[in-house]
Amino acid sequence: MPKKDGFSAELKKNKILFLMLVPTIAFFLINNYVPMVGIYYAFTKFDIQAGLFGSPFVGLDNFKFLYQSNILWNITKNTILYNLVFIAVGNLLQIFIAVLLYKLSGNVFRKVTQTLMFMPYFVSYVILGVLVYNLFNYELGFINTLLKSLHIQPLDVFNSPQLWPVLIPVFYMWKWVGYGTVIYLATMLGISSEYYEAAEIDGANIFQQIRYITLPQIKPTFIILVLFALGSIMKGQFELFYQLVGSNGNLYITTDIIDTYVYRSLMFDFDIGIGAAGGLYQSVFGFILIITVNFLVKRRNPEYALF
Amino acid sequence: MKKRNLRIFCLAIVTVLLLGVLAGACFTADGAANLKPVELQFYMVGDAPKDLQLVQEKINELAKKDLNVTVKFNYTSWTDFSTKYNLLLQTGQPIDLIYTASWLDYAKLARKNAFKPLDSLLPKYAPQLYKFVPKDYWNQVKVNGKIYTIPATWKEFTSNGFQYRKDLQKQFNLPEPDSLENVEKYFEGIKKNMPGQVLTGEYVSPGPGSWSFSALEILQMKYKWVNFGTPYGLVADYSNPSNIKAYWGSPEFAADMKMFKRWADKGFWSRSALSAKTDMTAFDNGKVVAIIQGQNPNKYGASLVSAKNAHPDWEIGYVPYPAVNGIAQVAHATQNGYAVPFSSKNPERALMFYQKLVLDKRYNWLSQYGIEGVHYNVKDGYYEPIGDPTKTGFGREGMNGWGWRNPDYMLFDKSFDAVKVIFEQMGTIASKSKYRGINIFDGFAEDYSSYQSERAALGTVLTQYLAPLEAGLVSDVDAAIKVFMEKAKAAGLEKIQKEYIKQWKAYCAQYNYK
Repeated sequence: MPKKDGFSAELKKNKILFLMLVPTIAFFLINNYVPMVGIYYAFTKFDIQAGLFGSPFVGLDNFKFLYQSNILWNITKNTILYNLVFIAVGNLLQIFIAVLLYKLSGNVFRKVTQTLMFMPYFVSYVILGVLVYNLFNYELGFINTLLKSLHIQPLDVFNSPQLWPVLIPVFYMWKWVGYGTVIYLATMLGISSEYYEAAEIDGANIFQQIRYITLPQIKPTFIILVLFALGSIMKGQFELFYQLVGSNGNLYITTDIIDTYVYRSLMFDFDIGIGAAGGLYQSVFGFILIITVNFLVKRRNPEYALF
Repeated sequence: MKKRNLRIFCLAIVTVLLLGVLAGACFTADGAANLKPVELQFYMVGDAPKDLQLVQEKINELAKKDLNVTVKFNYTSWTDFSTKYNLLLQTGQPIDLIYTASWLDYAKLARKNAFKPLDSLLPKYAPQLYKFVPKDYWNQVKVNGKIYTIPATWKEFTSNGFQYRKDLQKQFNLPEPDSLENVEKYFEGIKKNMPGQVLTGEYVSPGPGSWSFSALEILQMKYKWVNFGTPYGLVADYSNPSNIKAYWGSPEFAADMKMFKRWADKGFWSRSALSAKTDMTAFDNGKVVAIIQGQNPNKYGASLVSAKNAHPDWEIGYVPYPAVNGIAQVAHATQNGYAVPFSSKNPERALMFYQKLVLDKRYNWLSQYGIEGVHYNVKDGYYEPIGDPTKTGFGREGMNGWGWRNPDYMLFDKSFDAVKVIFEQMGTIASKSKYRGINIFDGFAEDYSSYQSERAALGTVLTQYLAPLEAGLVSDVDAAIKVFMEKAKAAGLEKIQKEYIKQWKAYCAQYNYK
């Protein structure tokens, strides 16, 4: 009997398995692939009654606002740099804290710390925006009232764009560190204690144990988290920036990202075509980025690549 | 035999069908009884009153009986309301009645087909209302020859004014703030005598047409423009509308920006103002001592009511800008209205309900003032709130019912007599002005399709470079103006201005505004 192969044979062989896959495929088809038709909006002048395909086609006109005022480079740069900082500093900090918590012996203390660090995750950015405004308000803010009572010059935070590349990551960390720490901690708790016992017998000190056992063991988690994060690098945390910076033009030079820029152009002139154009630019750019990174990872460590 | 049976059977069916049709016809003429039940989605901008649910139930009791309709009243809240409003209309979710206003781009949205044309529906489903609204109102709201909204008919002056604390002004012996110089003296005086007091709550106001710093409105004490939103930096005097010229980049512009910097340096508003959010209750709570922007006589009236109860020792002063620059404009018919969005599934029933809301006193009073005896009382023809109006579950016009105000049924608080005096004053000013108070600018519907992407690009330039200038939060005004003008030009300002001027002049010629 000749050996059958190909998709139809595979299908025949694993009928049930494929059947079980159907809901998942349907889910992604409906939620992630069908809406992609909306990309077409980016090339039309939208008319509410005519709908998607009835609206007139205008080619690349909707993309003009992105490069017209020579701002594209600045906002793309800001978006990428902020996200790189979020990913790099975020992951390192999370790993560092996870290692500390892991090595702590007191179970109660560990749990309390973990919970306290996780709390900010539940605070919405709207609230964070109000907190930050009241913290840094020039005349009545908490920090400046404190500085004034110590006879130090108050900080004019809302007119000092140079401060924000530090402030925004700080608040990002505040919100997300607890969350990531828990993920890393879970991975670490899964490492078999036999490794450590063996290392101890061989005379490895605690730093050597971390360096040669803990870190290599969490490497796959680390790589996957980073790859996921890179995929959304062009969608730079809109809410965080919008709520913290709002309509403060004096700060845009260092805080404007693609999302906030597109949002602002739409505030002035609400148009679906222009919005879709901005979104498409982000998606294409993000797509190229993740394909590249994945390719690089695959070349070095094929087993860690996403696909 | 068989044949006859069939014939009888057929006849019987026909009779039954015919009866059914007749019955149906009778019932529709009869009113609610046989209309199929419908839930209408009703949308308004702003925050819902606390007791909305109570009032909604009462209204629905009536509406269920009269029209077999229940209504769900929805609010956008004041946070980002203009974005939410636009989203509601453009995503096509079913809405049956939605607020429209010139300041929410009524004409532009109508041109984008967001609303249903009502010309043929109105006489059929809301005939009394169609007669009730005067002809010239219907004409003023027409876009491309069609009616898209039902205008409110109360004659209202929407010119704003400068609201201040008269008790403090007297106490510290300061001049009445009726000119730019005196406003500056008023602020300085309070700053000196009450060092910890915040003076104003200025902020960047994101409007669909322009991005500007709220304090800019004080320029009404200096200029006589038709519009202070200065679209694309262009201005024209009310007495000479067709002579439109550039304001941005002019020597007056530089002088004004320097004045704002001086005011900012003196601390008239927070150095963090660019990131501040609006606080509508700041004045009433005593957090600030002046309102520069958006304070029309009606809002001043509301402030009076709230102060009478919460701060009886206060005296609130108000300088209407028209009293300074001599230009009082009556609200254009498009100022307040209600439209049926394109997405509505029940436009007929929506109009029937809206007619009730405006013309039926029970509906109108319920939706404007709440439940009588719970939220308000009527005494000597005056509206009288029950309890503290700042804490009430339903204040006067608690549902933001500016669209369905009916001049015949309107109730006013006793303190509103002060507002009426201002209205009379404005009426006199308007009658003396060249175009007798016609709101020239609001009647103009710009068509920006030919410079849409330039407009979007310019919008971002305005927040980034213009708003900080207007707020006086730049270190060097002249240098900042230079950067702003360069960026605006790069975004396509000149192309926009050229096309806009062309349209504006054509509009002026059409209505004979010289």
